Amino acid sequence: MKHWAASLFIIFVLCISIPSYGADIESRLKALEDTIQQQGKTIEDQQKTINALKGETAKTGGKTIESAQSKATGLFGSSVLSNPNISLVVNTFAYASNLTEEELELRNIPGYTTEGLENRNGFNLESAELFLFAPVDPYFNLYATIPVTEDGAEVEEAYFVTTSLPAGLQMKGGKFKSGFGRINSQHPHAWDFADAPLPYRAFMGGEGIIEKGVQLTYLPTLPFYTLIGAEVLQGDNEFLFGPDAESGPHAYTLFAKASLDLSDNSTVLFGPSAVTGKTKTGSIAEDTDFDGDSTLYGFEFTYKWKPSKQQGFALQSEYLYRTQKGDLSALDENGDVVSVDELRRIQDGLYVQGIYQLDRWRLGARYDVLDLFKDEYRVAGEEQEFDGNPRRMTGMLEFNPTEFSRIRLQYNHDRTARDEVTNHEWWLQFTMGIGAHSAHPF
Amino acid sequence: MKKYLFSFLAVLLFVTPSFAKVNAVATLPWIGSIAKEIGKDRIEITTLIKAGQDPHFAEAKPSMILAARKADLLMYNGLELEIGYLPRIIESSNNPNIQPGKKGNLDCSQFITPIEKPSSVDRSMGDVHPLGNPHYHFSPKNILSVAEGMTNALSENDAGNADFYRKNMQLFKDRLMEKQKQWSSRPLKGKKYIAYHKLFEYLANEYGFWILGYIEPKPGIPPSAGHIQEMIGLIEKAKPDAVIATYIAGKKEAGALSLKTGVKSVVLPQDVGATEAAQDWFSLIDEVFKGLE
Repeated sequence: MKHWAASLFIIFVLCISIPSYGADIESRLKALEDTIQQQGKTIEDQQKTINALKGETAKTGGKTIESAQSKATGLFGSSVLSNPNISLVVNTFAYASNLTEEELELRNIPGYTTEGLENRNGFNLESAELFLFAPVDPYFNLYATIPVTEDGAEVEEAYFVTTSLPAGLQMKGGKFKSGFGRINSQHPHAWDFADAPLPYRAFMGGEGIIEKGVQLTYLPTLPFYTLIGAEVLQGDNEFLFGPDAESGPHAYTLFAKASLDLSDNSTVLFGPSAVTGKTKTGSIAEDTDFDGDSTLYGFEFTYKWKPSKQQGFALQSEYLYRTQKGDLSALDENGDVVSVDELRRIQDGLYVQGIYQLDRWRLGARYDVLDLFKDEYRVAGEEQEFDGNPRRMTGMLEFNPTEFSRIRLQYNHDRTARDEVTNHEWWLQFTMGIGAHSAHPF
Repeated sequence: MKKYLFSFLAVLLFVTPSFAKVNAVATLPWIGSIAKEIGKDRIEITTLIKAGQDPHFAEAKPSMILAARKADLLMYNGLELEIGYLPRIIESSNNPNIQPGKKGNLDCSQFITPIEKPSSVDRSMGDVHPLGNPHYHFSPKNILSVAEGMTNALSENDAGNADFYRKNMQLFKDRLMEKQKQWSSRPLKGKKYIAYHKLFEYLANEYGFWILGYIEPKPGIPPSAGHIQEMIGLIEKAKPDAVIATYIAGKKEAGALSLKTGVKSVVLPQDVGATEAAQDWFSLIDEVFKGLE
């Protein structure tokens, strides 16, 4: 483990030192020379073309004759409209933990989820993520996110957004990241850490709520920013709902966000969210099946201070509170129901993170905890006892050579499994994007 | 309970404050300043980016989205300067009037002739703007066309005041002609400078001074120690009149170069409002001329 961490650190130092050797004057001069030569050549070429054209005009008596081959047919078009905006973001990382692969796979959160950790010691490819977007017509914009992993490609998001609804309304439809909470609607490459916060992993799985459905938002013209949104979702999320919980859409969200500028340089954003629906899942405990209702409440808070391009600070936190009630069936090894008991879970979790940015460097810290204020887990009226709070501490250091590339070193002190084992996790992550410029989210 | 909820929603939906004035939103201070010359007190102007902020790297703050929601006319620099946040602001504004192609969406760069448009570009060259140098607000020649475009857009959005806007445009034009004469008599011809960012190229082209090199090795990329060393060499050889930076970029580096080489460094306002003296577009250019002399 230590060797791993040490070598990751060395690679990190090497990587960040590369971009500081900027272009020297020679290469600049060379580039200038090349440009001038090129321009000279262009002028020459243009002169030749002009001469040739003059000759031709003389021959044809002033009439221009265009050969049929030199023109686009107009059948398929060769304009910029042939392509939407496309960008590709590659997210790859080296990972080191003191635990073995088997231990990582089994490292679940008792009382929350049976799902373990997917990272492998050594090199990992998260994904090569393809983004496509463009206006469809004066009424819609269209977006698609297609992460390609080693297991294949999937359609993570594919949705339209209206641009012409009146009265401050907007509709989104297709498959999209829910507006619930703050991190949920952000793409993993825009996160401030390599992994999802613990409450997200515990309550909705690391990927968050990505669902097929429709969303309606309303932005009133109040003196301060207020966005109100509602969604009707299919309810496929394995943690909160499950595709078999009910036929037809069976998940609904409501959220509101408000924001104020405290000064030209500082802004707060906050608001509540709620999502509720029918649940059918096997992820609560080994060899069980749950059938019931779930509701997840959230409250988000972000403070940002950005006095200049060179410096900034952001404090962000989300509190999640989940209630779940229904029938928990114990299954035997054939999957047959042995017994059915009433399950009632009321649990909560929180993360708080701070990021300080100085020039191209960003330094971050995060604290995650579950069972913060509420820890109720009853089967057949019996409280289930679990030891200790699942919790985690994270430190992060980033170097961003430009806004299109990022090198990140992250350490997690992971005590999520409610046992005596600490998982010391290290990441050295490279995230780079090419193609169309995507917008910086607030 | 339900009754209250509905009346609350109804209030939210219909209490939309009505403005008699045209609600104009400008991304940058200089755009707001020109609009003020044309619209005077008959338009309401909100500026999204403050003078102390770098227009290349702003974020789509919720307050900007709200301003765009209330806008009748959104005016922006274009040439991809605001690419990092403006598309998101426009989409998130839920305001159909300012969407691209609508009369409430005004890309000011459509009226100008950009310089330094690269024939080919990739990001290994740094943050090069593929449509050309976007800092055309330092071009008195181009600003006249922008003001004319703005006058048309304002007249189109507020036909009742069209004559008022045209009259102000004529006043603006007269004043600009007068100012241009003054600026032309300034002794800048043939002067040589080292600059931090490619910001003053339009002005250099129009008034005949030279910018020999840049402290930024590539646009948007801060200089390494090695590059600073090369710049010292260049300054010693070429003996420029000054090293120029702005209040938001390169102040520190220009100061350090000045200390090492003895060539004076000047800090110029990059936009209206960056200094107290640069209170509108005319005084901004005045201040830049003053600094360059």
